[in-house]
Amino acid sequence: MKNLKKKGILFITLTVFMLVSLFGGAAFAAEKVIKIGTLFPLTGPCALAGARCKIAVETAIEVINNKHPECKVPLAESEGVLDGYKFVLVSADHGGKPDVGKIEAERLFDREKVYTIIGCYNSAVTKPASFVAERRKKIFMCGCSSSAALTQRGFKYFFRLAPHDEIESREFCDVLIWLNKTKNAGIKTVGCIYENTEFGKHAADEAKKAAKAAGFNYTTDIPYSPGATNLDSEVMTLRAKNPDAVFGACLGSDYTLWVRTMKQMGWLPKIAINYCSGYQDPVIAKQLGDDGNYFTGGTGYAPGFADMMPAVAAVEDIYKSKVKLTVPFDSDSIQECIAMFILAQAIEKAGTLDYDKVRETLYANEWESPMSIGGKVVFVEGGQNDKAMSIITQLQGGKYKGVFPPESATAKIVFPIIPWDKR
Amino acid sequence: MTIFFQIAINGLLVGMIYALITVGLSLIWGVMNVINFAHGDFLMVAMYISYWLGFLVHMDPIISWIASGTFCFILGILTYRLIIRRCLSGPVLSALLATFGLSLVIRNFCLNRFSPNFRLLRKTLLGGKKIVLGGLYLPLPQLVTGIFALVVVFVIYYIIKRTRLGWAIEAVAMDKEAAELMGINTDKIFALLCGMSGACVGIAGGLLPSYLTVYPEVGVLFCFIAFVCVAMGGFGSILGALMAALLVGLVEAFGGFYIAPIFKYVVIFGLYLVVVTFRPKGLFGW
Repeated sequence: MKNLKKKGILFITLTVFMLVSLFGGAAFAAEKVIKIGTLFPLTGPCALAGARCKIAVETAIEVINNKHPECKVPLAESEGVLDGYKFVLVSADHGGKPDVGKIEAERLFDREKVYTIIGCYNSAVTKPASFVAERRKKIFMCGCSSSAALTQRGFKYFFRLAPHDEIESREFCDVLIWLNKTKNAGIKTVGCIYENTEFGKHAADEAKKAAKAAGFNYTTDIPYSPGATNLDSEVMTLRAKNPDAVFGACLGSDYTLWVRTMKQMGWLPKIAINYCSGYQDPVIAKQLGDDGNYFTGGTGYAPGFADMMPAVAAVEDIYKSKVKLTVPFDSDSIQECIAMFILAQAIEKAGTLDYDKVRETLYANEWESPMSIGGKVVFVEGGQNDKAMSIITQLQGGKYKGVFPPESATAKIVFPIIPWDKR
Repeated sequence: MTIFFQIAINGLLVGMIYALITVGLSLIWGVMNVINFAHGDFLMVAMYISYWLGFLVHMDPIISWIASGTFCFILGILTYRLIIRRCLSGPVLSALLATFGLSLVIRNFCLNRFSPNFRLLRKTLLGGKKIVLGGLYLPLPQLVTGIFALVVVFVIYYIIKRTRLGWAIEAVAMDKEAAELMGINTDKIFALLCGMSGACVGIAGGLLPSYLTVYPEVGVLFCFIAFVCVAMGGFGSILGALMAALLVGLVEAFGGFYIAPIFKYVVIFGLYLVVVTFRPKGLFGW
């Protein structure tokens, strides 16, 4: 009797196990998931920008995975890709540290089994993290890291959406030439203040090259340690050398400190143009208030561009609902969102998740990108988006106004920058 | 010549702020032989208190330093009672590791509660104001913070050198067991020292938001520089900490301008290496 009871329990256990294996397995098989890893600075001095970039990717995934007919962007009206595959986000933090970025990229690929990584905001981190992807022959989508060197390495699986420093530096010099021609600005000397990182150093190198090529005298080169306690020496040096134009590559709170220190020292160049930096951060611009006005910079997106890019508004509403501060997209976060859309389109078009086929598809097509200024994305060798462009904006009354090129301008440039004591 | 004096002024003003942060660290490092790794995070907490008081009830940092100083005084005592006291009987490194853990907890708590956002108080009484004297400018926020620093440092110095409490602290620093035999309650002395250390950094943190951005990592570099100042000035020496902080400020300003801005912190840490090589007890250490 006892034996029979034991056999009964064993039978029931085996039956349950088989049923679970059968239906549970079927359920797992039915779950078509593509894991997307995001690798951004969620702690450290650039954490705010990193968090927004992550939310931008999340927004794109939300639009792609579910029906959003109100969004006039590719894949918004369908659900997922490849007939039912949905994207799932796996987030990681590198804190702005290249070594951490590399380890996290390895973890995302090897342990989390993500299909691709989108990141990393800081060029210094994007460099080693994308190397991890390249070695594994897996795709790395880079939204906004701007170091020109990233797409000069001949990588096959690396794709970048934003314009890089070389493009921006040339654009900045075009602005100076235009000002000399139209406003008799008398700009002859150029300086650059930049954080001493991969991003800053490359920006400065490109600034130097572009300034010399455009016939300007590059007189001042000021690197600084990010997160510095003060920028007194840096601004004192700028003031002493007094360049007519200053290119800035200062991220996060350093940008605020730079502007405030210039105010304290009562000094300003004729024009200050900023790379992808604190200038583009709408929260920092708001906090600086009037002090932030009349600075200029390359901008991939600002709410003032709504007429030019009508498709952004509906996606931005979803993005805002995820960001407690209800801040709009900025030039960096929107590029990460676009990176996700382009990748999803490529997977859909390739009809497979095979890395090589998706990579070839990415290169072979011109992609619709209503959230980009040019409206299109085309990748050339090295993975750079050939259609990447930005508009030079100036903060006027706390709002980003397009001032260059003249055909895209929404306001007239205020030149020279209004001195501190006359504001 | 104007540039030279301007750099000197900038260096001294920065140095005075470093002094205020350093003094608190020097007190507990010198007397208790405890390295408080969370010192920079106390500064950050004080800055947040000042920021939120400014943002929510429009209290200017020129007043809110009282609240942040008081809060950090209590935080210092609590840190001693709950963490440091338990580590004193253990290996030397245990207090350092415990405060390192506390530092991570505080920083991540602030990261979680306040987000990594940079927060800037816009319309402060001193913000953006300066005094111009014969081509030299003195930024008012830094000047006022510097004056506060000097006052606090001299109050601490007076307490240590001229009061019975100070003599008791010095006695504990020299020989804890002998001091206990003389009837000094070392536990209370240690708690008070941690409170005073917190109050100093709390006052500094309360004043800084009048010109600095507040974010969870803001205290990190300040803390490292404070460590350098303590070691350079001599462990436990208040005047040593002040002089070392002023020296660090000047070296940073002159090095940053005459060598290259990027080398300003290199010069500080280089000077530190030179000092500890030739005088391991610091410039004013006993």
